[in-house]
Formats: sequence, structure tokens, C-alpha cells
Amino acid sequence: MKILAALWNTLKRPPVHISLGVIIIVSFLGGIIFWGGFNTAMEVTNTEKFCVSCHEMENNVYQELQQTVHWSNRSGVRAICSDCHVPHNWTDKIARKMQASKEVWGAIFGTIDTPEKFEAKRLELAQHEWSRFKANGSQECRNCHDYDSMDWNAMSDEARRFMEPAAERSQSCVDCHKGIAHQLPQQMGSVDPLLAGLVREATSVRLDEGETYYSAKSVDLYTDAERTEQAGVLQVATEVKVLETRDDSVKLAIAAWRKEKGFGRVLYEDFGQNISSAVLDKDIAQDGAMIETHQSDVVDELTGLPWGQVSVTLWAEKGAYLGKREALWETAGQTYRDACSVCHTEPAPEHFDANTWPAMFSGMVGFTNMSAPTQELVLKYLQMHSSDFVDAAH
Amino acid sequence: MTISRRSFLKGAMAGSAASLIGPGLLASSALAAEGAEVGLGVWKTSGSHWGALNALVKGGKVAEIKPFGADRHPTEMLNGIKGLIYNPSRIRYPMARLEWLKHRQDADRTTRGDNRFVRLTWDAALDLFHEELERTQTDYGPWALYAGATGWRQTGQVHSCGNHMQRAVAMHGHFVKKVGDYSTGAGQVILPYVLGSTEVYSQGTSWPLILENSKTVVLWGNDPYKNLQVGWNCETHESYAYLEQLKAKVADGSIRVISVDPVRTKTQNYLGCEQLYLNPMTDVAFMLAMAYTLYNEELYSQEFIDAYALGFDDFIAYVQGEGDDGEAKTPEWAAPICGVDAEQIRDFARLLAADRTQLLFGWAIQRQQHGEQPYWMGAVLATMLGQIGLPGGGISYGHHYSSIGVPSSGASAPGAFPRNVDAGKTPEHDNTDFQGAASTIPVARWIDCLLNPGETIQYNGSEVVFPDIRMCVFSGCNPWHHHQDHNRMKQAFRKLETVVTIDYAWNATCRFSDLVLPACTQFERNDLDVYGSYSNRGVLAMHKLVDPLFHSRSDFDIFTDLCRRFGRDEEYRQELDEMGWVKKLYDECREANTALSAAPGGDEPTSSMPDFATFWKDGYVDFGPGENWVRHADFRQAPEVNALGTPSGFIEISSRKIGRYEYDDCQAHPRWMEKAERSHGGPGSDRYPLWLQSVHPDKRLHSQMCESEALRATYAVQGREPIFIGPEDAEARGIQDGDLVRVYNDRGQLLAGAVVSDDFPSGVVRIQEGAWYGPVGPEIGALDTYGDPNTLTLDVGTSKLAQAPSANTCVVEIERFEGEAPAVTAFGGPITVDV
Repeated sequence: MKILAALWNTLKRPPVHISLGVIIIVSFLGGIIFWGGFNTAMEVTNTEKFCVSCHEMENNVYQELQQTVHWSNRSGVRAICSDCHVPHNWTDKIARKMQASKEVWGAIFGTIDTPEKFEAKRLELAQHEWSRFKANGSQECRNCHDYDSMDWNAMSDEARRFMEPAAERSQSCVDCHKGIAHQLPQQMGSVDPLLAGLVREATSVRLDEGETYYSAKSVDLYTDAERTEQAGVLQVATEVKVLETRDDSVKLAIAAWRKEKGFGRVLYEDFGQNISSAVLDKDIAQDGAMIETHQSDVVDELTGLPWGQVSVTLWAEKGAYLGKREALWETAGQTYRDACSVCHTEPAPEHFDANTWPAMFSGMVGFTNMSAPTQELVLKYLQMHSSDFVDAAH
Repeated sequence: MTISRRSFLKGAMAGSAASLIGPGLLASSALAAEGAEVGLGVWKTSGSHWGALNALVKGGKVAEIKPFGADRHPTEMLNGIKGLIYNPSRIRYPMARLEWLKHRQDADRTTRGDNRFVRLTWDAALDLFHEELERTQTDYGPWALYAGATGWRQTGQVHSCGNHMQRAVAMHGHFVKKVGDYSTGAGQVILPYVLGSTEVYSQGTSWPLILENSKTVVLWGNDPYKNLQVGWNCETHESYAYLEQLKAKVADGSIRVISVDPVRTKTQNYLGCEQLYLNPMTDVAFMLAMAYTLYNEELYSQEFIDAYALGFDDFIAYVQGEGDDGEAKTPEWAAPICGVDAEQIRDFARLLAADRTQLLFGWAIQRQQHGEQPYWMGAVLATMLGQIGLPGGGISYGHHYSSIGVPSSGASAPGAFPRNVDAGKTPEHDNTDFQGAASTIPVARWIDCLLNPGETIQYNGSEVVFPDIRMCVFSGCNPWHHHQDHNRMKQAFRKLETVVTIDYAWNATCRFSDLVLPACTQFERNDLDVYGSYSNRGVLAMHKLVDPLFHSRSDFDIFTDLCRRFGRDEEYRQELDEMGWVKKLYDECREANTALSAAPGGDEPTSSMPDFATFWKDGYVDFGPGENWVRHADFRQAPEVNALGTPSGFIEISSRKIGRYEYDDCQAHPRWMEKAERSHGGPGSDRYPLWLQSVHPDKRLHSQMCESEALRATYAVQGREPIFIGPEDAEARGIQDGDLVRVYNDRGQLLAGAVVSDDFPSGVVRIQEGAWYGPVGPEIGALDTYGDPNTLTLDVGTSKLAQAPSANTCVVEIERFEGEAPAVTAFGGPITVDV
């Protein structure tokens, strides 16, 4: 304590032997040297060599990058790690560097030191980067790729169809272009790239409590936040209300109707309409404590079956929901038109009603290459754009 | 090509080995590869609805056709391929009908069908096509153009002709479309209400499971041995291996097969199975009596009905005589209608309930008036038997079609050239105002539509207002074969200002068109397709065998050039050429299969598709066999979760939804209804006592290949289409086998050649559909010189529900034709007129 007090006294006392000018000059030079050193050191951490100096980077993502157009192309322009992963403005850069210290921890303690461990962690790591890109509108991409400089006429029609609307909204590049420089996490591999794009977008959508969202894929439902006791499956494009978020889990409220025949396992979008929202496990469906019934024994005259209005609250994973259904419908509509017109003119969605579509769809879908998740989405799209939902049938 | 001694020897050796082992085993190595040299020619791979094939091309001509190696049961129709390419009925040049060319929309339309045509250049013809589209869209609107009808395109996913025509026409403007088809029109509308799926085109329970589990197999109006010869893609006839096994099981008594049919079918004769005769069109009465027996003898499964079905009570009340008609549907009630003993009906019902029974329905019984009813009734019987969802039990409506029942490989199949306008693009004439008329019409009612524009009809729970159609475009589609009552069609076609047809052969639709454009055959262009139809067994390269004959061009070229006339040819072909498209479809298929095999539980074989060059050289990629599967097993296992697509999710024995439509000809549950005309004592049988069935042909695909001369010679009688008649009816009319006969009713008359056959009972005759229509002239009522059964058939909707064709509701009389027979006018193209 004496030493500290002495040092404090020395520092507190005005200088006697050195002039203020010297102090200023020395401090200034010292600052420059320090600042330069700091920046040089930081620049070193920005080089490709530094990034791939730990083998987690070198063996995985670095190898993958080398297969892409960002590494090798006819123009000879190359994007290195930091071009995309480190913000170019100083404050953000420092913030990012501080976050990155976690990676050093990881390198030392071997969190991802085998390919298996890396793959297992890849989705989580990717999601961090994707949220960052989502938040800054993919600024690092746009340091080179500028919407204003894009020549629509030089693009293929298909590219233009997606890019022009994106430019109008100044959409974040990585919303669509996930996996452009590295492999996608295995969990996200998909037979249908259009749908996969939306599932990816959902991983970076922020969930606010009390707000309404729509599932971008089918999601397992659980009774607990730890997601150990499965209760059923939420179907794609189903409306849910977010009640609470905890770690990687979210508590959802699902409002639905169900048939009062059998176990009531299937939840439907609306009364008398076979548009399924979720499938519950048998004991959950029968559990009065889990299912809140608002109306019961409402008879559907068209079939004679009694229906009940219910709601249920369950936990599920985060990162699987979109704020709107429109993009899902767009994807589904396009998939429907493309797949079905291979053999015949596809009927307009409003040509049939919601309860006829499952029959028409199941009779023909075997001819298409649609994956099971895509089929589920396309059928729901057809039902929710059927004659029950639009005025002009035929 | 130069021939070295070595290549000659190689060819000779391959030839001799092939003759020892047979073509099957050697095909992949010696015959399939493009450019494999054998003797003086080159073997190439191609495919057709009649089968995947290898063709020897010599000196720019197709010299020989052999079945593809994987096809162990090739059809005789492969012998017709050469005759299809080199054929006097080929359309040689773009042609315009003389009267129309002179006066266009002001032409005397009673001359339509005179077959007098003028040759045009391609430029002139496409200018005319474009002008007429412009005129129709400008002077009228989208309601005046019908380009919705499509048919059995030639195989090949790039050149799929309906896709080309509809894309090009849609890029120009909107048009009237169709719903439904002529094969399964009633079935595909009724079954969604009952079983929750169209069923008719669905994959069915795998044959191995039927062979293993069924004790009784019922072929109901079903002739798979005949009909499986053709397939939607490039057939490889895998079903026949199972029919062989079925034949063996019939022989050793382990499976009983019963053909419920008035006629001894080709399948029955092949299998050596039993027949249960019943009068034509009385199936529903017969089935109601079966239901009566099952119910009253308590042979039905109440348990299954309780768990899986709704509406049994209303139905059974009707059966028991507690319905509005007050008539119990006892076997005694049905016996005189059906021509079957009451005890035989009971025995049959008991037999089906005794053990595992697989019902296999053909499509014939729904191609008649009230065709919805027998299909619905079949589902009701299967529900009462309670075996739906069990291997070798339940009901199928498709095992006679395109290798249904052969397990699917599960691989991704190649896509096709797009039928639709690209997303985000709009047509030149973006007018969607149909002026209150329907933009989609039930396909079999389009002649009604031409005759009665503005009229409203009931259809499947909605109302359809007929648009006032002025112009039609057909591509690879022959309505003058598939639509009923040609004399009525003649009347209707006089309402049309312009008819444009694109095809490779001068069929009757060309005769009744104004502008005809020659497409080349599938053997004159490069393409690819699936082989194995429903088994989706692999992808086949369809090498161009020879250049397009005469002035014909590929659909791709024709419609690219049409689009050039409004400046959108690059958009049309998406800046790719023919081979670019073949490669694109292959590469996309390869990518999709790579993704499939990477997905959890992915399949190894599909992941190893070679690159395009290798595929094109090898001629095919094999996906390997699929796995056995049981139709509706998932529903049986968990009816709630795997609900059917019916309104309730369960089997609907009665349908409240249909009941609400309040149709007199299709009510809330299946019923027996008398037909407009019926043989065997039914209405009209006093004047026309013979029922005419127009089944799918044995040696054609509908009307395709009728023009193939050498093949036609194997079945034609005095150059006319055969009419099959039983010995009793023939004798009563003094008709001998081989005689020329006139077949007639109030709707029309035709010449045909009599084939007297023991397979046909009294009161039943057959002319196979697809015989080319060849009237002596354009006037209504003119004699058909070749023998198209649709000269005689009835043109009414099955009911207000499906409005489907009723071709099999038709009675006729026959007489020996005396005097000098007019020459056959069906073949050989138009009468070319010079101007």
C-alpha cells in the first residue's frame, strides 16, 4: 500500500524537471508508437495467415473457402477471412475482436478440435455470424457488392427476378446467400433450395415476446424448456404466438381446432378445415391439463363430425420462425407451378376448396420430386389459397 | 463411316453373342452405347411409350429396332416404330386449308373436313399462326381461345409438346384451359370424396406383396395384360414379370383370379383364370347385391367401418330397402339386371370375404354414364371387407397402367421444359377478362361448350359458364379420336373460325383443322426421359436417330420461331438450345439425387449418377429397384394423423358434401341408375341390341401408331378396323369372320371388318378406340370408312359431378356391308391443292 501511495503522490505532483512541451511530444510519440503497434498487431490478427494459424480454421472453413468463387475467379480478386468477418469501421472492429477472443479460448480448450466436434458446433457458429450480418445489412458484402452498381440487364432473368426486389428493400445479402463461402450446417441440407433459403432466413429472425410468427419448417414440440419431453410436431407455416424465450428455446401458444373423434391428435387451422397445424402425441392430446378447450361439440354439417376449439402451449427450438407467411407462400407457389406443370397444366389453387386439395394433391404428388417438407408446405399453400380463401372460384 | 476389319469382327461377335444370350443381357454393354459400331451402322438409344429401345441407324435411316436391355417383356408394338417414322401419313409440310386460306374467318365452314390443303413455307405458316393469335386476342379476348387440351405427347422431357405449345401461346396471351381427362374423368372426381385421393394415377400396393398375401385377386373390367404394354414414360414392362408369377400361382391354385367382365379378356386368356360374366353397365346393381349379402350374412367388418369410415348407415338403409326407392338390393333383385344368378352373386360375396382379397379395378366401368357410381361402390365393398391398407387387400384403380404396382426407385426424376410463362413475366396480351365465362372447362364438355356458348352447367359443386370459343390450338393432341360422337363434333367445329394443329401424322384432327404444322417424331431429336414409368427405374438418353423428315421440325424450334414473331424467342427458350436443355435437365436431376442421397436415410445408388457426357454415351442411368409398399397402410396404422383427403379425413361411404349439391345423377351415396341406353333388355336395346365397348387398343397407344402400316396389316380386316363379335350374334346376322360390316346407330355409321370370336358373349361387340376417323366427306352423317368407334358413341357427361366422357354407354346394330365399299380415307394425308 505504501508503494501505491508513493506512486500516486509522484503522479499527482506537477513535473519539476521536464517541460510541458517535452511531455506533450513524448506522449504524442509514445501514443503513435503504441497506437501503431496496437494497430499493427490488430492488422496481423486480420491476415489470412493469422486466421488459419489455428487448425480449426485451417482444416474446415478455410478449405471450403478455397472451393468458392470468393477465392478463385477470372478477375483475380480474392476475399480473405477478415474481408467478410471483420467490420471495417474501427469501433465495430474492436467489438468484434473482443468477441473473437472466445475463439482463442475455444482453440486452447479444444471445443471444436475434431471435424465431428466442428460439425456439431457449426450451426451455432454460423448463426452468430448470420445474426451479425442480419444486423448490419451484410455490410461486409456490400463493401464490394453495391446494389446501386448492379446492371440488371447483364443478369440472367432468374437472377434479376430475385435481385431487383431485394435491392428495392435493400435486403441483407446473407438473408439469401448463406453458404456462399463455407458449407452449410448439415442440419440445413435440403433437397429444395428455395425452401432451405427461408429456413436459413428464419435462423436470424429475432423473436419478441407477445408477437406472432409462422414456422418456416416443421418443428418438434416439447413440454419443457430444456426440450427433453417431446409432445408433438408443429407443421410448417403455422401461426404461433411467442410467450417466452429462454436460452435456445421458445415457448409457443398454438390456437387451433380439432376433430372430436379418435384422440384429437391433429390440430387444424380452422373449424371444419383439414389444414393441419400440429400433430400431438397421444397422451398430450388427451391431457386436459395441457389442452385448453374453448368450445366443444361444434358439428361440421358437411361431415357430421364434432369439432372443438382449443389452444396449447409448448416449447420448441428458436430460429425456426418468420414474421410473415408471404415468403413461404411465394416459395410454395413457385414450387407448385414448376413441379406440376412438368406433366400437365396445374389447376389454379382456387379451383378446389381447402378440404379437396389434400385428395387432389396426394393423388398426384408421387410424380413430383418434392421432398416431404416441401410437400407439406405446398399442400398448405394450396389449401390456404383455395376457393375457401378467395372470392373468385374458376 | 469407315469400317475396319476389327470393328466388323467386334460387331459380328456382338451379334452372335446376342443371338445366343438374347438381347436382354447384352444391351447395356453392346447395344446401348451411342455410336457402338455394329456392322454397317450405329446403335443408338431412344425410348417411347411402347418401350425403351435401341435403334440401328444405317445410311441415315432407322434400319432396326430392338428392345432396351432392361425390357424383358417387350411389346409387339415396337415393330410399329419404323412404320411410324417412315409413313405415308406423315405431315410433310406446313399446310393451310384452301377455303380457310382464302377467306379466313369468313370461310364457308361447312367445308371444314374436306381435307383440301395448300402447302406453305414455314415463314408463311408461322406468320398466319401469329396473326390469328393476334386477331383472336385483339378482336375478342382470352375467352375466345382454347389451347387447354393436351394428349399423350411423345416421350421426352425437353420436347414435351404440350409444354411447348402452352408456354408459347401463354406468352402471347391467356386462354381457356381444361380440367380432367378422357381416361379417368369420373374416377378422378369421385374418389377424392370417397378415398381422399384421385387414386387412378396413384402408386399401388407392390406386386410382390399381392402375390405373397392375396388369396383372391379380382380383375374388375380390367385387362392389364393388354394395357400394360404402354406407359407414360419409356416403358420397360416390369409388371409382366409379376403377371407371369400370378399365372403360375393360378396354375398351382395358390391364388384365385376372377375376371369380372362381360368379355373374356386378353389377361384372362393369358392367366387361365376364371370369369364372372355380367351384363354390360350393370356393375353397380351387382355390387349392391354383394353389399346386401355381406351385410345380411354378417360377412362385413363393422370394426373397420367404425374406425375408418363414415356414412355407412345411410347407405345400408338404401341397400336394405329403407331408402327413398323402397327397394331392397337383394341378389334376386340384381339377378335379372345383371344376367347373373342370385346364388352366384352370394357365392362371390362370400368368396371375397373368406380370405385376403385384392380388388383391381380397370378404368372401363367409369367411362360410362354414371361412371362415378361403380368406382364409389367398389370403395364401399372394399371398406365392408375391411382389408384396405393390408398387403394384398383393399382396392386399386391403377394396376393396369404404366407399371403401377412396381415399386418406385424413390429417385428424383428429370424435370421438363417449362410449360408456364417464367415467373415475373406477363403475356403480350395480359387480358384476363373472360367476361363472366369460365377460364377452365371440364374437358369432355368442350363440344357442348362450342355448341352452347353462354350456357351454364353444373360441375363438381360449382357452375361453369361456357365461353364463346373461336379459335383452338392442338399440339400432339387428337380430339377427333378421343371425343365422342364425331357427327356432333362436325356441327360444333363449324362454330370455330380457326383451328391450328401441330403434329407429326395427318390424323383426323389435322383434317378438321385450318392450319397444320409438321412436328418431327421423337426419333428425330435429342431428349431424355424416365424409363420404367411408375417404377422410375432410371433415366434414358433419347438420341436423335435421324434428321427430321420432310419439312418437319422439333416443337422446340417451331415454338421458338413463333415467339420470335413477338420478339420473345430468347425468353422462350431461356437462351439454351436443344442439347443445352437436355444437359440442364440431366444436371438438375443429378443434383437433386445428390441432395437426396445426402439427406438423412439417403440412398447410395442415386448418388452415383455419372456426369452428362458419360450418361449420354452410355445411354442410360439405372436407379436400381425400389422397395415394397402398401397403399393406405399409413392410414390404417394411424387414421387420425395420416388422414385421408376426404372432407372428414375418413372413408366416406356416404358423402354429405355431394349430397348438398343436390344432383339427381350423383347423390349422397352410390346408387343403381338406369342408363340412357343399354343392351340386354335395357333402354334402346330393341332398336340397337348390341353394346359397343371401345376399349384401349391392343396394338396402338390410343390413336398413336394406327397409321403404322405393317403393324396395322397384322390386325386390320379388308383394310378396316376390326369389330369383334360373338359367334351367336354373327350367325344371327349372316356375318362371317372377315366380312366387311356396317355398324350404325342414330348418331353415325362406319365400316369395319368382322372378327368372330368366342371371347365375346351375345349382345357385346368391341371396336378398339384410336382407330383413325376417315369420313367419306365433310357432311354430317358421312360414312366413316375405317371404323372409329367414336363415330357412334354417346356424348353426354357421366353426371353433373364429373361431367366426364361416357364412351362405353353405346348401343349399335350391325349388318353385312353389300355393294362396293368406299376407299379408306383415314390415311395418307391431305388432298394437296395448288394455288
